[in-house]
Amino acid sequence: MTPGLKEIIESLIFISLEPLSIGKIKEVLSDFPGPEIDQAVQELLQTYATQERGIQIIQSAGGYVFSTRPEFDPWVRRLLKIDKKSKLSGAALETLSIIAYHQPITLSEISALRNVDSSYTLKTLLQKKLIKIVGRKSSPGKPLIYRTTERFLAYFGLNSLEELPTEEEISKILGEEKNLEQK
Amino acid sequence: METSESYQVRLEVFEGPLDLLLFLIRKKKIDIHNIPIAVITREYLDYLEHKDKINLDREAEFLLMAALLIYIKSQMLLPREEPLEGEEDPRRFLVDRLLEYQKIKAACTILKEKEDEQSSFWKREALPPLAEVDEADLVEVSLFDLAESFFILMKKKEMENFKVVRGKNYSLENKMKEIIVVLEEQSVLDFLEYFSQQETLEEAIVSFFSLLELIKARVVMAIQERLFHSIKVWLRKDPKDRLARKAR
Repeated sequence: MTPGLKEIIESLIFISLEPLSIGKIKEVLSDFPGPEIDQAVQELLQTYATQERGIQIIQSAGGYVFSTRPEFDPWVRRLLKIDKKSKLSGAALETLSIIAYHQPITLSEISALRNVDSSYTLKTLLQKKLIKIVGRKSSPGKPLIYRTTERFLAYFGLNSLEELPTEEEISKILGEEKNLEQK
Repeated sequence: METSESYQVRLEVFEGPLDLLLFLIRKKKIDIHNIPIAVITREYLDYLEHKDKINLDREAEFLLMAALLIYIKSQMLLPREEPLEGEEDPRRFLVDRLLEYQKIKAACTILKEKEDEQSSFWKREALPPLAEVDEADLVEVSLFDLAESFFILMKKKEMENFKVVRGKNYSLENKMKEIIVVLEEQSVLDFLEYFSQQETLEEAIVSFFSLLELIKARVVMAIQERLFHSIKVWLRKDPKDRLARKAR
């Protein structure tokens, strides 16, 4: 392996704010052979996994990104003066998962699935950049169509939409709820 | 007694009528595929009566569901020549909705766990938007600064006797695209210079509105290096957004 390749990749991931995909790394380092890059990435991950460090490289939204280790959360929050990281509201989470599973989807379709007018929630999700407008539907009124963003994936630590909870996981949850009631 | 208390506690917990229905169905241990509409409607209306403070927006949706329940019941009471098949069951529509909603709720539970898990992974947030220039002197300009510059320019143009060429239409959308293309090529645009290049008054005005739209959409930002200096327009550094725009 070319000496220094691992460190080059480390610097690229460090400077990226969004998760850096392996495709992007290869695009930038087009003068290095692909398999060597793959190997270097693996070694880099290995290095961070085995050394005692406050930061790590995680895989998220289909790319690599630096993050602090979860066990240091209390001290990071102390520095940033954040008591508790703000979480999505129930309505936001509900709307977001409807979009995630049914995308591309319009406002009226979302509202129908929830049986609640969702325009306000949609607006806040747009502001948080967890969803985006991808166009208009060619039906009457030409309603806007929404999709989830890369940031949505990163927010939940997913690599792709395929990693959303599956039918099996969902039926397991529903099964558990049934059992709880019977107790 | 205890049940009515728990109603009180849970008032605000429900995200909507479907949420409430699911709660009642579970509480009564009802089979979702065979809902006794009369029982559930009674429970549902009881719940609504327990609500002290009425939020009209939300209440409307809850009332709509009550109306749907009563409608379904009335459909089921109507005498029929032939017994109803599965597809024609008036409850079918509601059951499909409930099943889908139930799945979404379960998915939410899982996503919530993931959200909690992720919340202790801290990542670096945005870099300064203009890393390559000294930002200290830059002032993001207000709409008024922009408008003022624009009017000064228009006055100048007026004196130069603007030619009005008819027959060419400028659309905001095209202008916005044009501005982005220019910005992507040269990264920075001099506000006054750009407008003095415009051929007609109409084009200049459309350009100005396009620029305002772009600023509003936070695609670009307008910055003045020092007071009374020329205003410069930059693309906002948000690589993801830019990609999304290219994809469009």
